[in-house]
Amino acid sequence: MADTNLAERAISRRAVLQGGSLVGLSAFLAACGGSGSTAVPSTGGEATPAPSTGGEATPAPSAGGDITGPLNFANWPAYIDLNDDESASPTLDDFRAKYGIEVKYVEDVQTNEDFFATIAPALQAGLDTGWDLIVLTDYMAARLVRQGWVETIDPANVATAAANVRDELRGLEWDPDMTYHFPWQSGATGVGYNVASTGRDLTSIGDLFDDQFKGKVTLLSGYQDTFSLVSLLLRERGEITNLPPDLTVEDAQKIKDFLQPYVDSGHIKGFTGNEYLQDFGSGDTWVAIVWSGDLASSGGDDDRFVYPTEGSIIWTDNMLIPKGAQHKRAAEAMIDFVYDVDNAARLAAWIYYISPVKGVAEVIAAEDAELAANPLLFPPADVTAKQYAQPDLTDEEDIAFNDLVSLLEGA
Amino acid sequence: MGQLIHRYRGAIPWLLMLPGLAWLAVFFVVPNVQMFLFSLSEGTLLTGFVSPPDTWSFGNFPDAVTRYSGNFVNSIVYGGLATILCFLIGYPLAYAIAFRGGRYKSLLLFLVIAPFFTSFLIRTISWRIILGNDGPFLGIIRDVLGVVPDNFSVIGTPLAVVGGLTYQFLPFMVLPLYVSLEKVDRRLVEAAQDLYAGPWRQGGAIAGALLGGFLAIALQVGLGYSRLVGDDATPGLVALAALVGGTAGALVGASMVSQAFLRVTLPLSLPGVFAGSILTFIPAIGDYVNAQLLGSPKTQMIGNVIQGRFLEQNDYPTAAALAFLLMAAILLAIFVYARVLGTEELSGGR
Repeated sequence: MADTNLAERAISRRAVLQGGSLVGLSAFLAACGGSGSTAVPSTGGEATPAPSTGGEATPAPSAGGDITGPLNFANWPAYIDLNDDESASPTLDDFRAKYGIEVKYVEDVQTNEDFFATIAPALQAGLDTGWDLIVLTDYMAARLVRQGWVETIDPANVATAAANVRDELRGLEWDPDMTYHFPWQSGATGVGYNVASTGRDLTSIGDLFDDQFKGKVTLLSGYQDTFSLVSLLLRERGEITNLPPDLTVEDAQKIKDFLQPYVDSGHIKGFTGNEYLQDFGSGDTWVAIVWSGDLASSGGDDDRFVYPTEGSIIWTDNMLIPKGAQHKRAAEAMIDFVYDVDNAARLAAWIYYISPVKGVAEVIAAEDAELAANPLLFPPADVTAKQYAQPDLTDEEDIAFNDLVSLLEGA
Repeated sequence: MGQLIHRYRGAIPWLLMLPGLAWLAVFFVVPNVQMFLFSLSEGTLLTGFVSPPDTWSFGNFPDAVTRYSGNFVNSIVYGGLATILCFLIGYPLAYAIAFRGGRYKSLLLFLVIAPFFTSFLIRTISWRIILGNDGPFLGIIRDVLGVVPDNFSVIGTPLAVVGGLTYQFLPFMVLPLYVSLEKVDRRLVEAAQDLYAGPWRQGGAIAGALLGGFLAIALQVGLGYSRLVGDDATPGLVALAALVGGTAGALVGASMVSQAFLRVTLPLSLPGVFAGSILTFIPAIGDYVNAQLLGSPKTQMIGNVIQGRFLEQNDYPTAAALAFLLMAAILLAIFVYARVLGTEELSGGR
């Protein structure tokens, strides 16, 4: 079963993205839904809470009370697998079937900062944010944990996840024992381009500033991705010595001064979040700073991602349960569910990001040799040697960086 | 009972106003006091706020003005241009509906407001598609006519932002204009014609040329296609625009404006002009959606800054200070405008 999922990865989600986000996925079961271990009867209709037929390693645990829904799950666009006609997600459908609860999966996170701003006032006031499970990048997840705005995850409810998380993702400084978070996916920040529009293959960060692409270039908003990546270009040119994790305010000023003329001349036409996918789709953007898996899963045939020769930025997006979540138990069930190796393999194979789950590489290698060699899922050694983490800043530095960002972005 | 009512007669208007006053108090006065206190505070959502009376950061105001002066200028220029364009498009439209609409008046008015049945955001995003790279606009001028290069785009230019604003707020201009034009007594126009208010060829040509020339320059400079001062000033282009605009204005003025219109219809429609331009200018100047979706980093308006400071940087003090400054600027503009047109015009000249 799982191999059909791997083989039938839908290539383009452009139609879905242009038509709007995945708000309120209909409860249709995928025709080929079901993972290797859970057989979901294809009823061709509504998501009946199917009996968990045989083979499931762990029956739904009962610690911490009943699993009640709906699970309000906020995630980034292009971050969930879809069935062939892109009307539903096999992973979410299987979860619904297994636990018999509704999942409200909303692609509401376009940038960390924007999403944080929508939940921060409620968290500050000690109120429920309306979300049970959210996905944020390391630095933002760490910020929420520091603020004490995250529920602790009951280890008894996430046994699979605790066993399967890859070793290099454990022991992070901001949450060493995975009390508050589990990784959703990891990925890289690099350069994306439409080869039909550019007329050539791009290889470097410097290609973003080629005169030929004037007015067709977008960068990611905020400093975590754009400033980090551009710092690698300036480092190559000898203008900055620090690596991205150690960038200083002086470095940020240099980066801002480097980018400003390109903004003023209109070479850089905007700063985006995930919506660069729509701009690639319409041809408004030819070259952009993008996240690694998006164009492969949701772009067109001519859209490419490249790890630039100067290096790239590596990050992890993490599942968190915001303080006051109404369906914490369901969120824990989801965390555990996506750490099942087969579920994780199906997800990674569709979204082209780096799975945090041990054994996914083996499952994919056994089923699809071509995919097992895909550098998006399994970055080769020469790429990982030049991958750097995002800046780790104090609150004061964060404010100073953001000031430069807002000057650059014009608002 | 009757005596009771008689005794408290003076209270009746207040009772009637009570719901409205309570609404204003809860949803206008209280939030504004709150916002004013924020505008004098320090800190961010994460570091915590220090508010009056512990601190009085009046410096937030001058800081905000100097730092975001460019965005204020964008707002005023784009909002102003959109208002002028709405007037230029809306006045002939309202005039035609009111005077020549006949039995189709209701239908025509309905067509003016019909776009409002669609969400504001959907309409703006539609413009992204229409003006976008694979949209019909570029499809014609780039692919069919070939007058612009391959990497040309309309999205991201001030033209797109002003165009979006004009489109969004046109009904706010047309409806008040229609109401005041509809009220114009036709007998007054006939009387004026009987009293030798004939064509206005010379005056119309001169006034039209002046207005047309001024508008052409305002559009060209306001939309950033040329500059009047500085190193990259292009006086030639400006002069050309003025010439084209002046000629067009003169033709329109000479052929379409009569003395009866100038002396009767136009003055009587001024309350509509006043109300329409206020209703257009205020939302246009504070808008951020059009600049966000149709603009570029260079075309961001003050609304974008307020949105960004509030929602991305969590810098409530600066955002609150900017919001107050915007409010003050709008009030000042209305005050000056009312002085020029006369406040009694607001109440229909009574």
